[in-house]
Amino acid sequence: MTGARERLTGCALLLLLVALSLLAGPVQAGGSATSAQAQQRAKAVTQVVLGIFSYARWPTEPVPLRLCMVGPTEYADDLIKGNVQNSGQPLQVRRLLADDRNVAQACDAVYIGKLDDAQRDHLFQAINGHPVLSISEADDPCTVGSLFCLRVGDQQVAFEVNLDSVARSGVRIHPSVLQLSRRRGAVP
Amino acid sequence: MKRSVRKAGVRPTLRSVLGRGHLSVALMAVGLAGISLTLLGVLALRVYAHHNLHLIARSINYTVEAAVVFDDSAAAHEALELIAKTEEVADAKVFNNDGEQLAHWQRREEGLLGHLEAQVASALLNGPINLPIMHQQQQVGHIELVGQGRSLLLFLLSGLGGILFCTILSAFVALYLSRRLLGDIVRPLRSLASVAHAARRERSFDRRVPEAPIAELNELGNDFNALLDELEVWHGHLQNENATLAHQASHDSLTGLPNRAFFEGRLSRSLRNAARQQDHVALLFLDSDHFKQINDSLGHAVGDEVLINVADRVRAQLREHDLVARLGGDEFAVLLTPLHSREDAERIAEKIIASMQLPMLLDGGESLTTSLSVGIAYYPEDGDDPASLLNAADAAMYQAKRKRRGQWQAAQTERSAADSSNRS
Repeated sequence: MTGARERLTGCALLLLLVALSLLAGPVQAGGSATSAQAQQRAKAVTQVVLGIFSYARWPTEPVPLRLCMVGPTEYADDLIKGNVQNSGQPLQVRRLLADDRNVAQACDAVYIGKLDDAQRDHLFQAINGHPVLSISEADDPCTVGSLFCLRVGDQQVAFEVNLDSVARSGVRIHPSVLQLSRRRGAVP
Repeated sequence: MKRSVRKAGVRPTLRSVLGRGHLSVALMAVGLAGISLTLLGVLALRVYAHHNLHLIARSINYTVEAAVVFDDSAAAHEALELIAKTEEVADAKVFNNDGEQLAHWQRREEGLLGHLEAQVASALLNGPINLPIMHQQQQVGHIELVGQGRSLLLFLLSGLGGILFCTILSAFVALYLSRRLLGDIVRPLRSLASVAHAARRERSFDRRVPEAPIAELNELGNDFNALLDELEVWHGHLQNENATLAHQASHDSLTGLPNRAFFEGRLSRSLRNAARQQDHVALLFLDSDHFKQINDSLGHAVGDEVLINVADRVRAQLREHDLVARLGGDEFAVLLTPLHSREDAERIAEKIIASMQLPMLLDGGESLTTSLSVGIAYYPEDGDDPASLLNAADAAMYQAKRKRRGQWQAAQTERSAADSSNRS
């Protein structure tokens, strides 16, 4: 009798193993794909952010350019690693807390990750009226606050521009960038 | 040797020489000018095309700069098309810094023209232009631009067309001018030739060469005319001399009558005519009676006077076509042609004899009467050649003299006797 039971549990285990292995296959493949994609996206985001910096003009040219990361970011790893702008000027990257009061004085540009509405309002209040170039990574309707809002896709990293915020910030953005963003807004 | 034969065989006319000269000058001028202008134009245009392509590349650079910085293929393509479409660009590519092609635009050209344009562009424009895209003093990518040879091709085609048109036009003008020049040269030459020909063939020295528009030809014509003047004078003089000499050779200087040679020539011609037309001819042989005594007793001057008188009187008795000649001394001969009957000849002989009966008034004041003995011979009865006819007439005259002077006597040869016996 016991032999029969053992055989039954053995069969069940075997079945479980097969089922697990069947399940694990796609999961494993999916995991590797996303990591490659994430790397690709991070690279593209870095290019776009550095591109925006290269077309931006502050009232006084900041040397080095101080970029602050606020909130949890998804694709900013490459940005943190690199410390040189397109122009060859140095780039200083650091993380700040969302409620840091000195953000306007300590940063020339802000890369905004996922924030809740209160944190967001707080941050924009802090930098309002200061020449700080703000870029939102996460989904943002780009109606209030951020100058640039990234739209990260697998094919391309697009962005939108909030012209109102650009005008108020005092940071001048080259028209060709504005044109590029407007065209992108129209295409999708 | 071949060459000399050809030279002698076909000599080019003035027209072909002039035409060829004008044509070659015109064609050479147009060809040289056209080809050198087209070459210079192509060279200049090539420089401009290159420059223009650089400008286009630069403006494409500015336009696609942002798109390249953001690695935006669609925007790059749009910007590229915007500019390349309206400019002389055949092919344009935008690359980013990794050598990855961001955008590519190519002009779609079909047909022969597009093919030709590509050929011209590859032959005359130096390769694709490669220009780096700079952003903040850093190269972010580069573009490659291939020019379109349209304006060069159009220039070449219009240049060739122009050369062709000018060549045809100048050929026509050259031919027209050479024809006009030919007219100016040939017309005087032709009239010169025709005048020379007339002078040579027809001895008409009265024609003159008209004036020519070209100075040298006019001078030639004038010289020729002067030469003709001299020739005409000389020719006239020669003719007069000839006529005098001819008259002297055939006439007796004393009486002004034809001489023996002239008479014999005329006689043989008349006999030939008569033989052809079955005509009759009478030959009268006249001899003055006692002329020798007149000459001896009264002198040669009186003898000459008598001879002139006799000649005048004999001439006065003859018809229009009859001929009297002085054969020599006091002998005269008369040729009666045409002769209808023997009676006519006899009547004329009687008239001549009768005309002598009137006394002659001489210069010295004295008057003198002479007489003639006449022998008549008929053709063809008494002889069918001049010599026998003359002999027959001569014999008849002597017969008349023997009988009684101052009479006429017809010839009595064997033939005429036979004729008369036949008749009876």
